[in-house]
Amino acid sequence: MKVKVCVGSNCTLLGSMNILDQIEDLEDIIREDAYIYSDEELDVEAIKCLGYCKEIKKNVAPVVVVDEEPIFNATSQTVMEKIVNKLRK
Amino acid sequence: MKESYVALINIRRQVFAKIAKMAYDGTDLSELEKSSFEIIPGEVATYRDSVFRERAIVDERLRLTMGLNARKPTEFHRVTDGIAEVNVDKTHFIEPLINVITYACEACPTKTFYVTDNCRKCLAHPCTNVCPVNAVSIGKNRAIIDKDKCIKCGRCKESCPYSAIVQYDRPCAAACGVNAIDSDYLGRAQINRDRCVSCGNCIIQCPYGAISDKSQIYQLIKALKTNNHIYAIIAPSFLGQFGPLATPVQIFEGIKQLGFKDVVEVSLGADITTLREAKEFLERVPGEIPYMGTSCCNSWTIMVEKLFPDQYEYISDSASPMVETAKYIKKKDPEAKIAFIGPCISKKLEALREDVKDYVHFVITFEELMGMFVAKGIELSEIEVLKEIQDASILGRGYAIAGGVAEAVKKTAHAIDPSKGINVEGASTLHDCVKLMRLAKAGKKNGYLLEGMACLGGCIAGPGTIASLNRVRKAVTEFKNQAASKTPFDNKIIDEKLRNK
Repeated sequence: MKVKVCVGSNCTLLGSMNILDQIEDLEDIIREDAYIYSDEELDVEAIKCLGYCKEIKKNVAPVVVVDEEPIFNATSQTVMEKIVNKLRK
Repeated sequence: MKESYVALINIRRQVFAKIAKMAYDGTDLSELEKSSFEIIPGEVATYRDSVFRERAIVDERLRLTMGLNARKPTEFHRVTDGIAEVNVDKTHFIEPLINVITYACEACPTKTFYVTDNCRKCLAHPCTNVCPVNAVSIGKNRAIIDKDKCIKCGRCKESCPYSAIVQYDRPCAAACGVNAIDSDYLGRAQINRDRCVSCGNCIIQCPYGAISDKSQIYQLIKALKTNNHIYAIIAPSFLGQFGPLATPVQIFEGIKQLGFKDVVEVSLGADITTLREAKEFLERVPGEIPYMGTSCCNSWTIMVEKLFPDQYEYISDSASPMVETAKYIKKKDPEAKIAFIGPCISKKLEALREDVKDYVHFVITFEELMGMFVAKGIELSEIEVLKEIQDASILGRGYAIAGGVAEAVKKTAHAIDPSKGINVEGASTLHDCVKLMRLAKAGKKNGYLLEGMACLGGCIAGPGTIASLNRVRKAVTEFKNQAASKTPFDNKIIDEKLRNK
């Protein structure tokens, strides 16, 4: 699974590094109960500004993209829930 | 700011970006009246019980970010009252630095122990048996602690096999190492100015975002628009703060795009401070003074001054890295105005000192700087620049991490006089700093170099940081090892006379 966390200026200001920290820590939880989850690898990447803020002209930061699906005003709990649900067997 | 306090970070930093944008755009300040509406639009509350209260609190944040006092709830004031006073292009400091936003404070109960549902009224009931003042009895449903008798020793809590007794404290008061949080007549937090050392730990910890410092970004941006001799000096903990993709040189270049003439690492000043403190230690300890305290953490030195006044003379006379870096620039460009960018809010007070104010003219935090990047639409990771930053040595760049100052001074003193061994000891919370000073006062630290830092883990955990401690520690260590000079002696930027052993 590919998770991209935007770390552009606006997203960084509004806490995207915390989302990144939390997703990275998620790997420990998954490893602990490995039998519940599929073998799919969790690939987390910090990426440059995707330009959504300018495009949509509304407050959408922070932005996280999970398998090509963008999540606006992302919070770590919603992103992590999405990841965990997708990884469950 | 505490990274997991997401909602608070949102409000706080949106205000920084808003004020920075108004400053860059030259917006008329009467527009401030509607800024809180723009930050909290609509009519449904997101953060608190009512949208009106949310806006009222944002209004106070806007005022504090402009450098004004929060308004008194008992008096009628407009958001913009007093605004002309701060609509200037130099720092205009209005006491105090740390402010409680009274109507954001939820008047949390003060320190207490209480019994939860976990209590099973067990037969052994050790909680009653260990209480030194016989304050715990077994009630109908659970153990009861007599609040009037309780001396808050915590023995009942420790003895309970069901973890049924919890200790509760106001987060602001628990975070305060100098016991400076009192209560007003409604039980809301009130800061005791005689004890407060402006470390900012209560700001980080309050889960209601009810405490805030004042900012200078508006005045700084105003100055940047007209004065082209403004330099930024950036603290050693800047690594990793502005997103994992922004390289150190991109951060420097981004700062220049904000209107600064140049950027210099404060680690350079750290190298100078190291040389001075090492020489000072060798000269003065133990003949002149019994031990020496480092001088770079402003809250630590204020704490010693306020709580241990008779020990204050044992704090090093050497100027802090911030001041040394500013002096270096001032020597090269006498017209220079200097802005310190760091993780620290206590530096905002240090910069006002008589012996500092001619060198450091503005102090802002990393969080506030990030607000400026957003206001200016600067994407750091997209800046194309190929350069190397080499202002400081490995030891200077290590100042940001607890233990780094003492290590640098110790190694440097050893290089000057290998025959003299130096004991060092450090403390990196204000609680521990106070404990360390008690021991020092009792004569138990004679011959020592004492490193005091008010934030847990050192400057990398300062209240004005953006990234988590681990992230920054890693980035600082990596950058440190890229330094061409190993020690301050190899740093050719520094005056040769000072580098002479």
